[in-house]
Amino acid sequence: MRVKEILRTATQAWSPAAHHPAYLALGTSAQQLDATFNTTAALEIFEMDFADTSMEMKLRGSISTTHRFHSLLWVAYGMGTGRSSGRLIGGGENGTLTVYSPEMILTGQDGAITGQSSKHTGPVRALDYNPFQSNLLASGANDSEIYIWDLNSFSNPMTPGTKSQPVEDVSVVAWNRQVQHILASAGPSGRAVVWDLRKNEPIIKISDHSNRMHCSGMLWHPEVATQVVLASEDDRMPVIQMWDLRFATSPLRVLESHTRGILSVSWSQADPDLLLSSAKDNRILCWNPNTGEIIYELPTANQWCFDVQWCPRNPALLSAASFDGHINVYSVMGGCLEAQQYSTSDKISAAFNTSDPFGTGHTLPPLQVPQPTATSTIIPPLRTPPKWVRRPLGASFAFGGKLVTFENQQPSHQALPRQVYVSQVTTETEFLQRSRELQATLQSGAFVSYCQSKISSAPCEAEQDIWRFLLVNFEEEARVKFLRLLGFSKDELNKKISSSLGKGKLPNGHGLDVSDLAEKMQNLCTQREDEGGVAAGTSATADLGHIPQEKTPFHIPVSADMDGLISQALLVGNFEGAVELCLNDGRYAEAILLSISGGEELLKKTQQRYLNKQTNSISMLISSVVMQNWRDIVQGCELDNWKEALAALLTYANPEDFSALCDILGSRLEAVGTEKSCLQACLCYICSGNIHKLVECWISQKDCSCPLMLEDLVEKVMVLQKSVERLRSSEVTVKSSVLEDKLIQYARVLASQGSLETALSYLPEKSDKATVQRLRERLFHAQGAGAFAQLPSYSKPPTGGASAQTAPATTTNAVLSTPSQGQYPSAVPTQMSQLGQPAIPVIPTTHTPGVPCPTNRPVYPKYPATAPGFPPSQPERAPLGFTTGPNLPPSSLPAPASPQSSAPGLIMPVPVPTMPPLSAPGFLPSKSMPPVPPTSLPGGPVSMFSGITQTQSPAPPPPSTAFPSAGAGYPQGGPGAPGTKNITASAVAPPPTGAREGWNDPPAIRVGPRSKKVPGDYMPPAPITAPVMSLPADTPLPQDRGQVPPGAPQEPSLQILQQLPAERVEQREIPSEHMILKTTFDSLVQRCQLAATDPQTKRKLDDSSKRISSLYEKLRDQVLSPSILAGLHEISNCMAVRNYLRGLEVHTQVVSSSNFSEISAFMPVLKVLMTIANKLGV
Amino acid sequence: MPDVSVINTVDTSHEDMIHDAQMDYYGTRLATCSSDRSVKIFDVKNGGQILVADLRGHEGPVWQVAWAHPTYGNILASCSYDRKVVIWKEENGTWDKMYKYTGHNSSVNSICWGPYDFGLILACGSSDGAISILTYTGDGQWDIKKINNAHTIGCNAVSWAPAVVPGSLIDQPTGQKPNYVKRFVSGGCDNLVKLWKEEDGQWKEDQKLEAHSDWVRDVGWAPSIGLPTSSIASCSQDGRVFIWTCDDPSGNTWTTKLLHKFNDVVWHVSWSITGNILAVSGGDNKLTLWKESVDGQWACISDVNKGQGAVSSIADGQQNEQ
Repeated sequence: MRVKEILRTATQAWSPAAHHPAYLALGTSAQQLDATFNTTAALEIFEMDFADTSMEMKLRGSISTTHRFHSLLWVAYGMGTGRSSGRLIGGGENGTLTVYSPEMILTGQDGAITGQSSKHTGPVRALDYNPFQSNLLASGANDSEIYIWDLNSFSNPMTPGTKSQPVEDVSVVAWNRQVQHILASAGPSGRAVVWDLRKNEPIIKISDHSNRMHCSGMLWHPEVATQVVLASEDDRMPVIQMWDLRFATSPLRVLESHTRGILSVSWSQADPDLLLSSAKDNRILCWNPNTGEIIYELPTANQWCFDVQWCPRNPALLSAASFDGHINVYSVMGGCLEAQQYSTSDKISAAFNTSDPFGTGHTLPPLQVPQPTATSTIIPPLRTPPKWVRRPLGASFAFGGKLVTFENQQPSHQALPRQVYVSQVTTETEFLQRSRELQATLQSGAFVSYCQSKISSAPCEAEQDIWRFLLVNFEEEARVKFLRLLGFSKDELNKKISSSLGKGKLPNGHGLDVSDLAEKMQNLCTQREDEGGVAAGTSATADLGHIPQEKTPFHIPVSADMDGLISQALLVGNFEGAVELCLNDGRYAEAILLSISGGEELLKKTQQRYLNKQTNSISMLISSVVMQNWRDIVQGCELDNWKEALAALLTYANPEDFSALCDILGSRLEAVGTEKSCLQACLCYICSGNIHKLVECWISQKDCSCPLMLEDLVEKVMVLQKSVERLRSSEVTVKSSVLEDKLIQYARVLASQGSLETALSYLPEKSDKATVQRLRERLFHAQGAGAFAQLPSYSKPPTGGASAQTAPATTTNAVLSTPSQGQYPSAVPTQMSQLGQPAIPVIPTTHTPGVPCPTNRPVYPKYPATAPGFPPSQPERAPLGFTTGPNLPPSSLPAPASPQSSAPGLIMPVPVPTMPPLSAPGFLPSKSMPPVPPTSLPGGPVSMFSGITQTQSPAPPPPSTAFPSAGAGYPQGGPGAPGTKNITASAVAPPPTGAREGWNDPPAIRVGPRSKKVPGDYMPPAPITAPVMSLPADTPLPQDRGQVPPGAPQEPSLQILQQLPAERVEQREIPSEHMILKTTFDSLVQRCQLAATDPQTKRKLDDSSKRISSLYEKLRDQVLSPSILAGLHEISNCMAVRNYLRGLEVHTQVVSSSNFSEISAFMPVLKVLMTIANKLGV
Repeated sequence: MPDVSVINTVDTSHEDMIHDAQMDYYGTRLATCSSDRSVKIFDVKNGGQILVADLRGHEGPVWQVAWAHPTYGNILASCSYDRKVVIWKEENGTWDKMYKYTGHNSSVNSICWGPYDFGLILACGSSDGAISILTYTGDGQWDIKKINNAHTIGCNAVSWAPAVVPGSLIDQPTGQKPNYVKRFVSGGCDNLVKLWKEEDGQWKEDQKLEAHSDWVRDVGWAPSIGLPTSSIASCSQDGRVFIWTCDDPSGNTWTTKLLHKFNDVVWHVSWSITGNILAVSGGDNKLTLWKESVDGQWACISDVNKGQGAVSSIADGQQNEQ
């Protein structure tokens, strides 16, 4: 397809391949005249500019020359350096060879001619450059003259050897493309001579002896050193011969198709399979000279084209100079000639109109130029694609950090299989490593050691502080330890007080006995006041030194002075007056003492007045302590005193206020805006467990865009969240868009590194962002589960991060666990099939509470929140006791009933999904807890309950305030909905109402303890024995349920609460790595029970199976030390191989090396169990 | 240094050069195309290799394959030297031609599906210099818009801009129909990189980016990662790879940065899904990975030496020959 056009009759030379932009140099042709009969000569340079879509080529420079050109050559001489455009070499009609500087022509400067020689005696028709040394060129002229020129010393050309005989015109010279000292020349005789310039002699002559090869063109093969083509201008033999010098007796191939003599040939340097030829038959053909076939014919004018040349720079282009005065530039890639037609015609006319050389006033009749038709012509591309469009290799990224690569071997390797490689690209090695560590920790629950390693590896003090604070959350007595971290040690303080008072005796309640600490904490406030009272009393005694003296003779002053007035007031019982008098007299101690007797109101007033008068530095603190006004402290203290303020909060603040107060302090610090203060604020937020604020504050100071910084943040958030969950015995959901954004970002980074499962676990389950939903779906399918149509967001365990809709246990585990790949394909259908099942009859009497379940793994099924169709907006939680086991084999999922089966101590025929929840110790206390039917489908139980409980339940629980909203929180049409409708009244159980209260909080920041706080005097029943908890369902909710700080000293029951199995089972999962313990122990109990015959042993076993659950509690709570855990595992291993004696040995070791209080609840049971097992030989 | 490890080697059994290999949206299926005129689809889940389809129909070498977003079904487009674009669709497990576009007069060199948000929309760049935009209008109908002479003597590459609502960098909530501006970038034999924008249903040239001194071989518009910056990578016959960036919300001010000048033609650029790594495939059979550092400099982070697997496969081949 023609793309550009110049109206010239000229010899042409493309700029070298390296030159940009591509220029076409035109030198006025010798022995041709255009319509103007103009005899001037010029050298012009045109630019190929495709940004200009017209056919016009822009003239960039020209000079007039003294002679016309037979040949023109553009060499890359000097182009490597500076801004040189190489050199133009013109072969003149009179034998002159002229060297031009193209940049001089382009800039229009003088001195464009840099060299000239008249060595040749006739027209210089042949020119070629050495492709290896750009300073070397060869020229050929009449009389067999061939010169080799060095542009570095232009004046002295060499000859390649003695002139070949007979003497004839040299019509073509060509340097070999592979061997730099080989040159070939040819002339009208058809004989080609190959010269070796090292030897200065011809080494071979090529001739077919037909004597009709009138050589118009000769070209070396671009890639094969020994091959050369010769083109014949003779009309009797219009052929192109391809020779191989290794067999130089006859041509290798003859390309025959032109009907008249060939004028020009050009071999594409970009694709050796493309050879152009133009001939006197007006055709321009493109051959594959290596096969001999014609692969293209250019649509050309009806004119001889005397010169064709591939454009070295743009391999799809070629220029063709025709005798009708046109230089056309064509593309071989085809296309559509359309709009260009008119412009071409117009330009031709215009060119002639404006050139009226004779001044006749008449335009010349047009030449036989082609008159293109107005219809658009579709011009096809080359029949086979040229090499330069065949992409040989590629690398494309795919989802999950995958890189798909392929490359095509060189032809010599074509036997190789054509392969495509899929690679995993991981760029964030450290990030991945840390992410794995975090995952492992979340799964194992080994937060303490995790925090400790973080502390030891922390790069700076501030980071260390943060991890220390985070660590404390996992330890007992968090508040005390926080105090210690802030630099306040009660023990040290006691010592200081003692020494300051000069006493050797410590106040009561010191020491490190852990069991005492809770009590101590409870009494802390009192103690402080006592101590304060002692101090005050001492000084008061000093002030009133006379009192003891007056003991014996008792005188009551009734005089009119102050003493008298006071005593009179006292005598009549006017405390207020007496206090007033004392105060006025500055007798504050007496005033306080009196007001104590005068009643609470008076005391308060007195305190107030006293405090108002005091202005020293500690008065504010004392005031706050006395008035219980911590808000003033956190709002009013100097920020330099943040530690002290925080310490005060830790010591005194009510649990319900603690978080808020910490947050206020944190906010103030954060508002300062410095990095330091923000880190301090972060510490406050860690104390308060406010994840949302922590994230915001952290982000305000740290740029979390890079993966490692993101990891920094996520580590802290996850650990804090775990600690808060641990303290509140429930999952924590944080509705924070900032956190959500960061978690999405985090998930994206994980995904980009190939950690698809982990990425999915962090992605917020519920998000109104379409991108998040899409990413979830993509992650899900990318794991190879593409066969399932459901959206993964509903079939994946929820994540804790920002989700608000999940079952407590599920969330706990979802954050922890990364379900193994491949789980979904099987799990999902299983659940689906169960979804549609009608209610399975419940046989509540078949279960035997207190009997261990033989195979406990399935007892912790994945909470079927995985059911497809579970609405993402569902803010409600699943029934209590639903727990998940990330590694649960789906086949053992008794989906509907399995939630209840999570209760330890149930005997359960595994595949039978008829598990009543009655005995589930995991269930929250409830007055009545009828069995949850197996049809209590995942996600749907509450709506079911809310409808049925109050009407049909045999023992409807008293409606609690929270209960109705529990039902409301469940959207209609959840996955459980269809099943729910089928439930018969008899099969339906009301939910544990006490439990329900906790689960229907709005999804916003959920800080309250999910577990119900048990009143202080509540004594939990022995674990597991009672199928129905006896806690009254209408027990008022503790008011502080919303904001319980970690380890609040005034909240001893909270910590006790955490020990309660009843509180834990339903929400916590035994870490998967410890599940084996439970499995082994339980199965041993069962084996023994089956084998035991005498009643005493049976009783022992029954007892064991109950007591061993306290071990499971500890496992869930993750409070056991690593050494004990290791011991337990060893014992378990011994049991598994029935080596009970060895197990007993280990047992002894563990007992002897451990803190007895830590293990006393369960180690004896194990011993009993192993002894029995040994005896029974099971 | 990043780790690039071959996790799967797929033997395509193509009988001629492979020209493209693309994973689907999830990274579980691989489509390849070849000079042997065929398109093949492999299931490569979990390191496997199952030939799902061997699609015949093109009459010339097939240059590129492109997966549509799975929302619209399992759809694959292919373009060929035979001047045709074929859109293949899987129905009931069988792949078949869904549509054949014959509107180009020369080799169709590049195809690219638009972002999910735009529906089924395919841009095709051809050696005839034109770019076609095919939009599925339902019922098996496709609307065709053609930009003639987009690149004189040929368009080599097209790549869509991510769906971004002008003036808003925030994700739209679902359900709202955002007012997206459709844009894509193209590169061609006129050495130009051009940006195109749809206005009032018409495609108009929006920007003309000049820096390359030879054919632009490939262009890639970086995925949006929520930042206001648009990035485009372009590579060329001249061995240069440029990164074009635009911070300007109106999309008018583009600045360029030379990523690297290679010694040979650079055929292909590919952004990672997160848009922070660029894979560059060069004519010297070299694959390099590039990453922008915090200070905005691009650094080569990896010389993937022929993807390790290729090296071993050469060794295998030699063994076979012996």
